[in-house]
Amino acid sequence: MGVLMSAIGFGIVTASILAVSSVGFTLQFSVTNVFNLSFGSVMTGTGFIAYALNTSGVSIWASMAIGALCGGVISVALNWLIFGRFIRHGISRFGMVIVTIATGLICDNTIQAFVGPTFYAYNAQPGKAFNLAGMLLTGQELIIIVIAAVMMTATHVGLKSTRLGAAMRGLSVNASLARACGVPTRRVVAVAWFASGVMAGIGSVALFLDTSTFAATTGSQFLIMVIAAAVLGGVGSAEGAVVGALVVGLATEITAAYWNPELKDVVAFVVLILVLLVRPQGMFSQLSSERTAVG
Amino acid sequence: MRSTSAPSLVLDRVSAGYGGAAVIEDVSFSVRSGEVACVVGPNGAGKSTLLRAITRDAVLISGRILLAGEDISETAGNDLVRRGLAWVPQLDDVFPILTVRENLELGGYSLDRRRMRARVEEVVAIFPLLSRLLGRVAGQLSGGERKLLAIGRALMPGPSAVLLDEPTAGLSPEMTQLVLNTHVEELRQSGVAVLLVEQRALEAIAVSSEVHVMVDGRLRVSKQARLLTDGEELARLFLGE
Amino acid sequence: MSAATQLYLATVSVYICVNVIASWALDIQFGVTGVLNFSFVVFQAAGAYTAAILSLGPSSSSGGFQRYVGGWRLPFPVPIIGAMVVGAVLAGVVGLVSLRRLRSDYQAMVMLVVSVIATIVAESQTGLVNGVAGISLVANPMVSLIHATRQTQIWIFVLFCVFCMALVGVVMYATVYSPFGRVLRAVRENDRAIEALGRNANRHRMQAFVIGGALAGLSGALLVEFIGAWAPNGWFYPETFVFFTAVIVGGRGSLTGVAVGAALVGVGVQQAVEYLPITLNPSVIASLEWIITGILTLVFLWTRPQGLLPERRRRFPTPWRSDAPELAERSAATKGDERG
Repeated sequence: MGVLMSAIGFGIVTASILAVSSVGFTLQFSVTNVFNLSFGSVMTGTGFIAYALNTSGVSIWASMAIGALCGGVISVALNWLIFGRFIRHGISRFGMVIVTIATGLICDNTIQAFVGPTFYAYNAQPGKAFNLAGMLLTGQELIIIVIAAVMMTATHVGLKSTRLGAAMRGLSVNASLARACGVPTRRVVAVAWFASGVMAGIGSVALFLDTSTFAATTGSQFLIMVIAAAVLGGVGSAEGAVVGALVVGLATEITAAYWNPELKDVVAFVVLILVLLVRPQGMFSQLSSERTAVG
Repeated sequence: MRSTSAPSLVLDRVSAGYGGAAVIEDVSFSVRSGEVACVVGPNGAGKSTLLRAITRDAVLISGRILLAGEDISETAGNDLVRRGLAWVPQLDDVFPILTVRENLELGGYSLDRRRMRARVEEVVAIFPLLSRLLGRVAGQLSGGERKLLAIGRALMPGPSAVLLDEPTAGLSPEMTQLVLNTHVEELRQSGVAVLLVEQRALEAIAVSSEVHVMVDGRLRVSKQARLLTDGEELARLFLGE
Repeated sequence: MSAATQLYLATVSVYICVNVIASWALDIQFGVTGVLNFSFVVFQAAGAYTAAILSLGPSSSSGGFQRYVGGWRLPFPVPIIGAMVVGAVLAGVVGLVSLRRLRSDYQAMVMLVVSVIATIVAESQTGLVNGVAGISLVANPMVSLIHATRQTQIWIFVLFCVFCMALVGVVMYATVYSPFGRVLRAVRENDRAIEALGRNANRHRMQAFVIGGALAGLSGALLVEFIGAWAPNGWFYPETFVFFTAVIVGGRGSLTGVAVGAALVGVGVQQAVEYLPITLNPSVIASLEWIITGILTLVFLWTRPQGLLPERRRRFPTPWRSDAPELAERSAATKGDERG
């Protein structure tokens, strides 16, 4: 019982980090339809920006906030410099996947060239541990969970009850009609990239705190989990991404506790592949089912 | 029922295509506020290209397009809504994952927030059938309800002209009657200029005041609708005799 | 020529042959048929491990130095043929899972996941292929086959690689430019149309996938028999991207182009960076290779998406270009189950 509860505790922490990241990934995907495989590089980049701030004396949470804003700016810049141009150049979705993976490799290796192959760690105290129904969580982990919950609520409210949110959802299903409505599509797309970069930033600092050490490749390694959670929930569905994050987070930590820590990621990926075999559009995707209905 | 108001939408010797040769040539006509004009013609006559030329989805090769007296020939597609032009595409005409109210609100995206809320009530007042649909998700509406929503959505920003691209495509005969006789009429009474492009020529002519018959990319005949109600004459025009 | 120069030239030659075979293998999957196989390097690795296991003998014979499953000492060229069979079978299994009616980017993602799973399993299950350390001491088959000096044996192996490349080239030309190849290209361009003609597009994708898997296995087998060792850090998932770049730079669907691309990207970039006149930290050199590879891809996709030597018989629009005008502003006007 003790093992299970502590595994669930770790699972919730992992799920929180995953949820923020995969909602960011999926939100940008649903609005722009770019399957962004450079998302992990934005995570790594912001993680290192936060590191630079943190080691020069800024508190870790302030570093996270500033890093997240930088992540938003980086994300918008990548779209402005590369992705948006390729899309207007007329590249197919097929080619776009390769563009984002190439961009990711360039960014990762540029970071690697500067920081080298060494591991880094933030200067932050995990805080005292709390025992919540058998789950041992540090103060740091509790803060991560709260931040994730706040971000998820904000995203939900933003999408469901603001004009911009409606515009994003509208854009995700019918871009040309959104334009016909006078929605400034370029601006809404930029907002989506910004939001995705901010969430990448928050996710990365939380992740690097959770793993305690990180290197230039940590973000891109984690990206596979982020995609797994997003696809599991149905790409394009923010609620789905949260559920996907919970499934992946709990499955991995319970595997680690009961079976073999090295295989925890494998279990998550096998779950993902099994779900895709049964439901190719993911668990909750509104987009795909709608589109098949429209034809 | 001929109105004497000034022309709202004017096409002046418009030629347009898709980068290569012109698909439509030398098309001129105008639509007055509070009037329905329809463009009919056989398949491939260039009716859709005509609409696309107005909405910037086709390339305007020569000629001018005026809206409420202003030249919109150079206006970018994104800005047409703000200049007072709205259109209803033939397919994918609503946001299926949004509710009816959200669809209407998105239609009024160019308005400020308060004006947008008030405008929803005005549009519902123009199309009373919408009032009981507001909470529904657009993807679950019937074909006729969906087209009604699309027309209401187009009216949201308070345009001076609305273009309808084959609004009855795929609808049952009863729904066709409802959309044309009731909803297009409601739209006309709201005071906008309506340009209707239709496959179902006779039904469209019945709700229009002006008819433009298009064949092979050119206007063959422009007439008052009440002078062209004879199916046989129409058939001869279509066949080019 | 000094022995060191000879070894250098032989190594470059083998790498070129291996990369050309591997890039052709990816080309029939991705270039010709349009499957975004982001797990490609896994099939090469499977071939390498198979060839190693089929030639090293039981792992107990190494005195506990390395552990792996099975282990036979089979005569040349059985390990190489075994590698091709395993590559093909593995491609069949992965194809069954991922080549369903998924959007092309979902497919790519599933393949990526397969690649990551494969490395994690290979690293953590040390009894499988000796974990992170990998398998080593694989002998060049010419050593036991031919009584000659070490250098002659190496050059005979180089000749064998060239022979394999030529053979694969002949088979590829016969396949890709045959009616079967035309069907594969049609699957790439418009799978709906193919299905309307009563053909099963997925079955054709599967065929291309299995052929590519076998050839990837061959490339891995040749490489491991030459360099003697194979470990997970040589086939992390980004490695697949090198072959994608080779195909894109050379000319997707064009066999001659892809061969040129494979030599330029797979070997040329590396050599160029190693001979830079400045001294760099080794890890910076590796990063620089990746950065150059990534930039090459972007530059080619932007300026010359058809590659250096474009595919012949271009009855179709450029595969990188989408034809719907509304996609120019945002790629998303058409979502759903169609392939991009």
